[in-house]
Amino acid sequence: MAVRESNPNFMNGVPELLILRLLKHKEMYGYEIVQAIRNRSDSVISVGEGVVYPVLHGLERDGALRSRRRPVKGRSRIYYAVTPRGLRRLVDLSIIWTNLAGAIRQILTGGKNGEAIP
Amino acid sequence: MERPFHELRERLLRAGAAPRHVTRYMTELADHLADLRAEEELAGRSREDAKSAAMVRLGRIDDLFKAMTEQRNFQSWCARVPWATFGLAPVLILAGAWFVAVMVSLSGFNTPLTSADRFAFAMYRVRIGGLLYFGAPILINWAIGLFAARQRFRAVWPTVGLVAIALFSSTLRLRFTGFASELGGGMRFGGISIAAIPEGLLSALVILLLTALPYFIWRLHNSRSI
Repeated sequence: MAVRESNPNFMNGVPELLILRLLKHKEMYGYEIVQAIRNRSDSVISVGEGVVYPVLHGLERDGALRSRRRPVKGRSRIYYAVTPRGLRRLVDLSIIWTNLAGAIRQILTGGKNGEAIP
Repeated sequence: MERPFHELRERLLRAGAAPRHVTRYMTELADHLADLRAEEELAGRSREDAKSAAMVRLGRIDDLFKAMTEQRNFQSWCARVPWATFGLAPVLILAGAWFVAVMVSLSGFNTPLTSADRFAFAMYRVRIGGLLYFGAPILINWAIGLFAARQRFRAVWPTVGLVAIALFSSTLRLRFTGFASELGGGMRFGGISIAAIPEGLLSALVILLLTALPYFIWRLHNSRSI
């Protein structure tokens, strides 16, 4: 039986960014969030799905998310939504990661004065 | 009953994660697992295969454990400052309970006891105060045992707390003195005295037996469950 491998470390710092971005316009529960990350990243980002919950709880504790229980199809789900503080954090994280990604791309492609790494 | 996360739960509690955070984590993991199983079954896997695949997708126990314990904010106070939660706090709570007991006991005597009704009312307050005075150490020690059990805490600090409360409550005595007056007499707080050693130690032993025994029986039972 073939099953997907997961990356247990889930790339430090990235989960917060992705979760805040996904929840920016729509509240979701944990399973939905993980599926959305996998679908939108074409399965490039693959995680041990359960590790998303401590991240969600941490963001909620920091005031970046709020949660509420909602009954769906006979089951009680915990839905998460972004707070104004979470939106500010999203902006900050987006700037950091955009700059970082740009810097890495520049190094890989040679940038202005260098050569691309073979 | 199927308990897929029993080991994870026990490990997290022993590592100091707060029970309420652990409970929520377990609840959400169980929901997530059910969703994954349903998804895998829809994809055509057998029930057993779907269960295995769902567990793999959810993550290894070690990873789930690490993800939670890396968040230091989820540590319980019992784990962060055990000397305060099991040593200092119970003694302060006992002192607070005794203060309330004294206040309640004396409150019936703050007006002249000019009638039988007033005297009966005053004695009723004294009995409530006495109940609090004698009951507080037992309740506090049961609470220590409960907190330690919930947290799967090592026995050292809870034992310190249990023994401290038993000794304090058995050797220290609150004294009340009666006085007579033209208006009918009353009672006032006469300070704290130390009980005679044999009597105090015997009393401490009884309190310890009543309160520590359930905790240690639970520990013995729980140590075999994982």
